[in-house]
Amino acid sequence: MMLQYFERLASRLDAKIAKNPDIPNARRKFAREIAQLGTRLYSGQHRIAWCGVIAPFDMLAAMNITSCFVEFVGAMLASTGAVGTFLEESEHAGYAADTCGYHRSVLGAAMKGLMPLPDVMIATSSPCTGGLAAMENLARMFNKELFVLDVPASDTPESVRYLANQYMDMFRFISSRTGETIDEDKLREAIVKSNQARELMVEVYRLAQNVPSPASGQSLANFGIVMALFLGTDAGIEIAQAYRDEFESMVKTGQSGAPAEKIRLLWLQNRIQFKNPLIKMLEQEYQASIVIDELNDITWEAIDPADPFVGVAKRTITIPFNGEINWRLNHVRHLSTAYKIDGAVNPCHWGCRQGTGARGLIQAGLKEIGIPVVNLEVDCVDTRNFAEGQLRTRLEAFMEMLRTSPSAA
Amino acid sequence: MYYLGVDLGSLSCDAVLLGGNGGVMASSVVPTGARNQEAIARAVDEVLKVAGITEDQIKATVSTGYGRDRVEKRLAAVTEITCHARGIRNLFGETQVLIDIGGQDSKAVRLAADGLVTDFAMNDKCAAGTGRFLEAMARALQVDIEELSDLDLGASGSVTLSSMCTVFAESEVVSLIADGVAVNEIVSGLNRAIASRIVALVRRIAPASDGLSIAMSGGVAHNHGVVRALSQAFGTTISVPPKPATIGALGAALIAREKDNQGR
Amino acid sequence: MMSQETTRWIGHACSYTPTPLIHASGFTPYRLLPMGNSPDRAGQLLHDNLCPHVKRILDRAMENDLPDLHGMVFMNCCDAMRRLSDAWRAARPTDRVALVNLPVLAAESAISFFADELTRLSETLSTWSGQSFNQADISASIAKFDEIADLLGELSNRAHTGTLEGGSSRLQDLFNRAATESVDRAVELLRTVAEEMELPAAAHNGVPVYLFGNVLPDPEAFALFQSCGVHIAGDSVCTGMRAFSRIGGNDSDDVFVRLARGLLDQPRCARTFDPSRPGKIAQDVLAEARACQAKGVIAYTMKFCDPYISRLPAIREVLREAGLPFLLLEGDCTMRSMGQQKTRIEAFTEMLR
Repeated sequence: MMLQYFERLASRLDAKIAKNPDIPNARRKFAREIAQLGTRLYSGQHRIAWCGVIAPFDMLAAMNITSCFVEFVGAMLASTGAVGTFLEESEHAGYAADTCGYHRSVLGAAMKGLMPLPDVMIATSSPCTGGLAAMENLARMFNKELFVLDVPASDTPESVRYLANQYMDMFRFISSRTGETIDEDKLREAIVKSNQARELMVEVYRLAQNVPSPASGQSLANFGIVMALFLGTDAGIEIAQAYRDEFESMVKTGQSGAPAEKIRLLWLQNRIQFKNPLIKMLEQEYQASIVIDELNDITWEAIDPADPFVGVAKRTITIPFNGEINWRLNHVRHLSTAYKIDGAVNPCHWGCRQGTGARGLIQAGLKEIGIPVVNLEVDCVDTRNFAEGQLRTRLEAFMEMLRTSPSAA
Repeated sequence: MYYLGVDLGSLSCDAVLLGGNGGVMASSVVPTGARNQEAIARAVDEVLKVAGITEDQIKATVSTGYGRDRVEKRLAAVTEITCHARGIRNLFGETQVLIDIGGQDSKAVRLAADGLVTDFAMNDKCAAGTGRFLEAMARALQVDIEELSDLDLGASGSVTLSSMCTVFAESEVVSLIADGVAVNEIVSGLNRAIASRIVALVRRIAPASDGLSIAMSGGVAHNHGVVRALSQAFGTTISVPPKPATIGALGAALIAREKDNQGR
Repeated sequence: MMSQETTRWIGHACSYTPTPLIHASGFTPYRLLPMGNSPDRAGQLLHDNLCPHVKRILDRAMENDLPDLHGMVFMNCCDAMRRLSDAWRAARPTDRVALVNLPVLAAESAISFFADELTRLSETLSTWSGQSFNQADISASIAKFDEIADLLGELSNRAHTGTLEGGSSRLQDLFNRAATESVDRAVELLRTVAEEMELPAAAHNGVPVYLFGNVLPDPEAFALFQSCGVHIAGDSVCTGMRAFSRIGGNDSDDVFVRLARGLLDQPRCARTFDPSRPGKIAQDVLAEARACQAKGVIAYTMKFCDPYISRLPAIREVLREAGLPFLLLEGDCTMRSMGQQKTRIEAFTEMLR
């Protein structure tokens, strides 16, 4: 079922791109690569690795393994609207509905045979405890050994070395379980490509800072977090390039991503993964545009292809949502200033402890620099739990507040 | 010239009619029931009747509440947050924090010196700290919701309920009743549990609420015990309007007049 | 009453805290238990739907229901605890706070890294205390804490066999006191209790049950179990023996490696697991239940605790296959949510008899 879904999605996007080959087609190319990733995961013809969110996907790409974080499946199921059955399945098996829907939906999908059996499983201890526990459960269900990347929450030379060494252990683990050998040249090549994509992404974000922003509510949705999956590949470079070209031409002509940009918003944490009218409502009724997501514009220094482990370890450890809350606060404060933000939307995803658990601190931290925050109590995956009226009210009240505030656009 | 505010909530539909000079001519509260349009019509008819005017004399209408988009003849739909803030400021000009406890949700709103909303926090996911909680408790205690209001009098405060989750609190109440604990102590515990949730909500928008002027709106403001508990929790008197359930509609009517004057 | 002027307290909130290290540095470790009556304010800084253990501790911090702490040592054991350390810094900006990385597995490389972390902590503690200490001091402290562990282990066994005066409820009170009083007082107290006459083994008539879960510090909860006809024949809870597992090892080992291994190797919390044996905790629960000849298993977990929520289905499954009845109690780690559990516990014991 999933294979068909992805194949159809990929061919539809191919057709659309072919119709207008001379325009960047950035979002379409991004979506197409997601579809193709999905196809590879479900085809049964590729080696696959189920991973935690911050696994080193560019390094894994060098080993001829299609790797993906498990929450991806949760997001995909939510976007198809079909997630309810899987959530229910996990709840019937005794997983409390108090936990994150991304993980529950994936566990439910595994119970219903909808998660392809992986060749290897690489868990990460960050960003969250729940994610790691979900990987342990999947490993138990698949009767597979788990490899865990233990990611420290501090940026010290010892922490970086500890993680860098674990990457080497990881490669040995994969090698011994799959028979694939580590090709140093391929690894170097993957890092070079990763660096190239990174450079282009930095430009994309710089262009998005423009007033008006070429970004719209839809164009960069899930961008940062999903692009991590495409780093190290040609597709990653192609997509980043398309976005760069698209944004560049829009900035040149002063074209705004959203219909008319009056209010610039920062979207915190995660996107709501299923179809919902909120972003359109913001754009059309309030001319409020999401110009940047917290999870986008997370960049890092170029990694030395000759010594990738330390660079990748450093990149992983310094991700803002790993570590103390100040890392996240510094990041979102920087984004607020750089992108000239009027307000921030904080979708407090149900069951999220690391992110949503910091609701008060994030709000206070942004308030300090004059950025108001609206909290949405929402489940980003569970379509059954979507209280549109309540969320609309909160967003509308926030818009009313921003419109009348002296600093609002 | 008359201005109308309509607040279509999930439990009640309220209407407030203002005269040209801004004075309240009439107000109404009718149960929403299953048919929104009928409830709106009834609420509006009532205020028209009391004021002795006809519908075409209404210059502008602003709607609010969960069903604000269903009020057809409106100039604008404005959220309850903005409307409640406007309404309460009209009655208590110093209000800096507004607590609104309705049937389904509770809100805390921070008002600036000029009366504009600068922050708000809502609890609409959890029954704890809302009218629904009180209704469930009234059922458990086998009293009418109105009776709850002063049932706490004379209590020493010996009962503390779990303020984390109403599921816990409800079964606690049942156990306490079975154990023969005095009703006034249980009700006092309930009121303090609600107050505790509300304090938490207020602190999200006003971390230091000492010295701030606090007012209350919403149906639960009729419950003296809850107001007492809030007053104690905040260490200050809470301003309560005579018709707390109509504050949203009042605010909406005031905004209708404002928007009309601005020519919008 | 201990003399507060001479005792310098360092607060902590996790069973993985290297208490001997704190002691060796000249401080007395004080476990912040989620007890007391501080108003519910944690949601203001964090969120309402978060671990009750963390919330109650934060409530105490915000209410200043604390002894005069010289500093706080937080272990980065889970998301909620990490957020607690952040909230603590925001609520009490002048406090000394340390956050220590804690590996999720007990592999050699992890133990080595954790040993480095503990070395770093010892340097921080040295700065806080203004005095230096050495490996021998730490070894001496380990010996003291291992003695406490042994004494509590002995008393725990007695409670399990029903020969401890006061039973599980008194035992929990002893755990709490050992966690919040000076080391010397704790040793003195436990030695005294250990010298008491044991009750005859057949003194209790409760149904033998194995209890596992996370945070449950209130002795009244154990009194409740007893009043419902439960006899706790074996247990594994965070605020019980798991907080006092022996460090062990030898004085000849590098003391930081010894501490790291001693802390990580014991099953102090479900957040640490063996990746090569996913789901092993279920087998462990079954084995321990069988070892104490329990007729049933009661799990007590707090709402919103992800490490436990996620392991429950497997545990449930394994116990069902083994034919052992299982009761899950979910709460907020205080007595406020326990009263209502009375009926279910009583029904469970009736079923088991």
